[in-house]
Amino acid sequence: MAFPHRPDAPELPDFSMLKRLARDQLIYLLEQQHEVDKLYKVENKPALSSNEQLCFLVRPRIKNMRYIANLVNADKLAGRTRKYKVIFSPQKFYACEMVLEEEGIYGDVSCDEWAFSLLPLDVDLLSMELPEFFRDYFLEGDQRWINTVAQALHLLSTLYGSFPNCYGIGRCAKMSYELWRKLEEEEDGETKGRRPEIGHIFLLDRDVDFVTALCSQVVYEGLVDDTFRIKCGSVDFGPEVTSSDKSLKVLLNAEDKVFNEIRNEHFSNVFGFLSQKARNLQAQYDRRRGMDIKQMKNFVSQELKGLKQEHRLLSLHIGACESIMKKKTKQDFQELIKTEHALLEGFNIRESTSYIEEHIDRQVSPIESLRLMCLLSITENGLIPKDYRSLKTQYLQSYGPDHLLTFSNLRRAGLLTEQAPGDTLTAVESKVSKLVTDKAAGKITDAFSSLAKRSNFRAISKKLNLIPRVDGEYDLKVPRDMAYVFSGAYVPLSCRIVEQVLERRSWQGLDEVVRLLNCSEFAFTDMTKDDKASSESLRLILVVFLGGCTFSEVSALRFLGREKGYRFIFLTTAVTNSARLMEAMSEVKA
Amino acid sequence: MWETWLWAWCPKESQKADEYLREIQELGQLTQAVQQCIEAAGHEHQPDMQKSLLRVGLEGRAGQGWEGGGMDSWGSSLCCPLALLRRLPLETSIPMRVRRVLTARGDGEQGKYRYKQLTIQVLLDRYGKPRAGATLPPLSTPSHSLLYPLAIQICEYLRLPEVQGVSRILAHWACYKVQQKDVSDEDVARAINQKLGDTPGVSYSDIAARAYGCGRTELAIKLLEYEPRSGEQVPLLLKMKRSKLALSKAIESGDTDLVFTVLLHLKNELNRGDFFMTLRNQPMALSLYRQFCKHQELETLKDLYNQDDNHQELGSFHIRASYAAEERIEGRVAALQTAADAFYKAKNEFAAKATEDQMRLLRLQRRLEDELGGQFLDLSLHDTATTLILGGHNKRAEQLARDFRIPDKRLWWLKLTALADLEDWEELEKFSKSKKSPIGYLPFVEICMKQHNKYEAKKYASRVGPEQKVKALLLVGDVAQAADVAIEHRNEAELSLVLSHCTGATDGATADKIQRARAQAQKK
Repeated sequence: MAFPHRPDAPELPDFSMLKRLARDQLIYLLEQQHEVDKLYKVENKPALSSNEQLCFLVRPRIKNMRYIANLVNADKLAGRTRKYKVIFSPQKFYACEMVLEEEGIYGDVSCDEWAFSLLPLDVDLLSMELPEFFRDYFLEGDQRWINTVAQALHLLSTLYGSFPNCYGIGRCAKMSYELWRKLEEEEDGETKGRRPEIGHIFLLDRDVDFVTALCSQVVYEGLVDDTFRIKCGSVDFGPEVTSSDKSLKVLLNAEDKVFNEIRNEHFSNVFGFLSQKARNLQAQYDRRRGMDIKQMKNFVSQELKGLKQEHRLLSLHIGACESIMKKKTKQDFQELIKTEHALLEGFNIRESTSYIEEHIDRQVSPIESLRLMCLLSITENGLIPKDYRSLKTQYLQSYGPDHLLTFSNLRRAGLLTEQAPGDTLTAVESKVSKLVTDKAAGKITDAFSSLAKRSNFRAISKKLNLIPRVDGEYDLKVPRDMAYVFSGAYVPLSCRIVEQVLERRSWQGLDEVVRLLNCSEFAFTDMTKDDKASSESLRLILVVFLGGCTFSEVSALRFLGREKGYRFIFLTTAVTNSARLMEAMSEVKA
Repeated sequence: MWETWLWAWCPKESQKADEYLREIQELGQLTQAVQQCIEAAGHEHQPDMQKSLLRVGLEGRAGQGWEGGGMDSWGSSLCCPLALLRRLPLETSIPMRVRRVLTARGDGEQGKYRYKQLTIQVLLDRYGKPRAGATLPPLSTPSHSLLYPLAIQICEYLRLPEVQGVSRILAHWACYKVQQKDVSDEDVARAINQKLGDTPGVSYSDIAARAYGCGRTELAIKLLEYEPRSGEQVPLLLKMKRSKLALSKAIESGDTDLVFTVLLHLKNELNRGDFFMTLRNQPMALSLYRQFCKHQELETLKDLYNQDDNHQELGSFHIRASYAAEERIEGRVAALQTAADAFYKAKNEFAAKATEDQMRLLRLQRRLEDELGGQFLDLSLHDTATTLILGGHNKRAEQLARDFRIPDKRLWWLKLTALADLEDWEELEKFSKSKKSPIGYLPFVEICMKQHNKYEAKKYASRVGPEQKVKALLLVGDVAQAADVAIEHRNEAELSLVLSHCTGATDGATADKIQRARAQAQKK
């Protein structure tokens, strides 16, 4: 249980610096504006505050600008004069100022920027808290956040030294990387002297691996996220968990000793662990019998508080487990997982398809159905035309015709596609590759794939051995590979790529995989010969997920780190899961 | 006044100085006097004269008690250029002009007679950048271009870092170079690039701006090509009305804000058609602009799609309009019709058909609301049918299912759920017997148990097919019979499933039975 790190595992860098930096900057900004007395959410509602000045701390979104404009204009109509200040975080966009101007309030507000782009959610997890990144970039093709990513990376390299080894895959990864390099060049000199603290950086686009993000999570932290939704590193446990009539907001990070031991565990182990823990706790409480007064005094002053704290946490997590069990261990969930595994392994496709159809017909859950359809599409290189039409028809009948737009979005993002008629590319490909050298064949298929981007999941899975061969039962208590995060059925593709590249220290030998991922132009390595990098820093790896990462991926890489004596640190545009991805693609009635 | 006065007597009769000094002091204007002495020293070209002037000033300060601050800094700022001048080898024969530049007086913000703090950088700038205008005698071009080597010499002498020294001079030289009207654009650009290369601290965009200032737009563009930071090129390109070039440079820079700035420029500069054409060739800019339009200018968005003959997106646009912009049912249907037409044009028959279905559904829902009351509008087809059944309108629901070709399976699920919700067990049973269930009978058992109706559940359990029989029996809690079936099936998985349901003493006999059956199976 809760495998310790190897004794030689490197220390994590100190992320509290980021917090301090951001805090100081915000305080500075707010001090210019006096007496901020209360915070309100920016909504399309009249401001309740009677203050003479209003300060808005917002994301640079056009919608937010409209809210502010409505508010200011309402004040104007009412004959009120106030001072307004808009603080954009992490940066100001010209488009936003344009909107303020078009709404006729540009002269009334003053604007500022709060360059807070990296929120340390945990000792090893930084989030940019930009869930919109996913839709903006992967659906709308909007590159506005790339600059923000580059700035964030630049900040990291100023604080923790430059990264001697850089790897990346994906179009966005490449753009961010290049922009970041440009920033470094413009401001050279500053970082050069620093000893690098983090030896490797790995940038990865979410669309390189949609499959992993679409799977149901079964590791505790992921399951908690899927079930209760973790927001900004904390979760609202409802009455059914707290076994009282109140909801409780709980911070979930390494500070929570109980949580820290079970977060990366497969759910099937968690309950047993917690009850063992409860017994131990009881035993510790029981020690006080037979204590003399002095010992008792010691116990009360030193241990009791810790025990009580642990007790509280323990009962919370047991409550959460019960609630999850109630929701998930029904037959439905097992069937669901079974179908997912079948999709990943690529057998019983017909059966899975009718399972999905039934799922839709019964209106089980709009988001879940959509997720399964996408999973089917990606693992099968698109749906066969008949299924594509019938599943969509069924879905529209169940959930309304506006989802026509959702499907159009999903197609654009490559999440739910139709196999092109006569799509026997693989057959042609294999014939061609027998005739010509591999390289030439690669070029030919590249030309094809630019026409229709195919996910090639099956081929990639075979190449990278993503479906472990299991002889007998997979022991989830003693995992032997990263597949444990999906009950031993599937090694997350994203994590496998990271593992393989780190092993080789380059993309060498992975050409075929890169080609299958449609990333031939977007896989890069950049090593600077840096003798200053200590061997310790070389075992510290920052993995950057552009478009979001899931807790399962985090758990899998934490596991890999423990196995190999690495430490992984994560930077993500936001923590995501299958539901969030699907919601980002859905068109909801405004 | 003081200046002329001091100028008049100072160099001539030093004996009188003390007298004057006293007089000045009596007037209480010593401070100014001292200042002016020092200033005067700066204006003097002969070292001797400078010395005596400075001496007067310093004496005044020492003898009479200096009240004003900042003397020392004055001294040092003066000393720098002076010392430098003196230390430079005489044979370099610094022209008079340069000396005057070195000691030129600037107009400070506060006092008329305050010396501009002549830092080395300012000095070099002056040196390198001959001032045009009446203050200096006109110089012949060759002689003043000769000053650049000298300036570089000074830099090297002072061991200034490249960015502060040589680069600045080179930049100034380049700015001067672009003013040579008789040299072709090509040659100037090449000459500048050859000399400057990528010297750090040199901004090609500044030089280009200078070229543009001289009316040489083409040269400016050529020079901008050497600017490594594409973002820096954009403002000038915009100024020069090269907006399209500016757009591609902005896109290169990766700075979306910059792209957006250029876009709005373009929008005002070009007519709509040209603007759209430009966007068409720049997908990144296009998506950026679309995002903006989606929130701010919906009509423009439509025009954009129209221009591109992007019927798919046009269809989506009208779909969105059908529920976001339109309130009246007629308007919504009309929007959907437009969408359907667009989808046909986009050869997306599926979407077109789905849209037409939606039009029919909307009209029907409207009619249902009128005839039956209640809420129907905007429900999905499935929910419409469910609502009808829940309202007891079974006939209507069936008609709906026929009209909209609801598949049998869905209809069964739907009816089953709705009738169970109503707890209309009689109707449910009638329904279950209407024909053979396409979804089997296990769902019937499940749903009855969900409503805690074991009695009804058992009715259906008997009809469940052999494959799911065990499951059904376990659901209704008939472990013994489940065991019998499992044994009959000789299915190991089913046996374990039943066994896992055997609890306590009540099922003890059943458990034994299963174990026996297992043992028997193994013997064979």
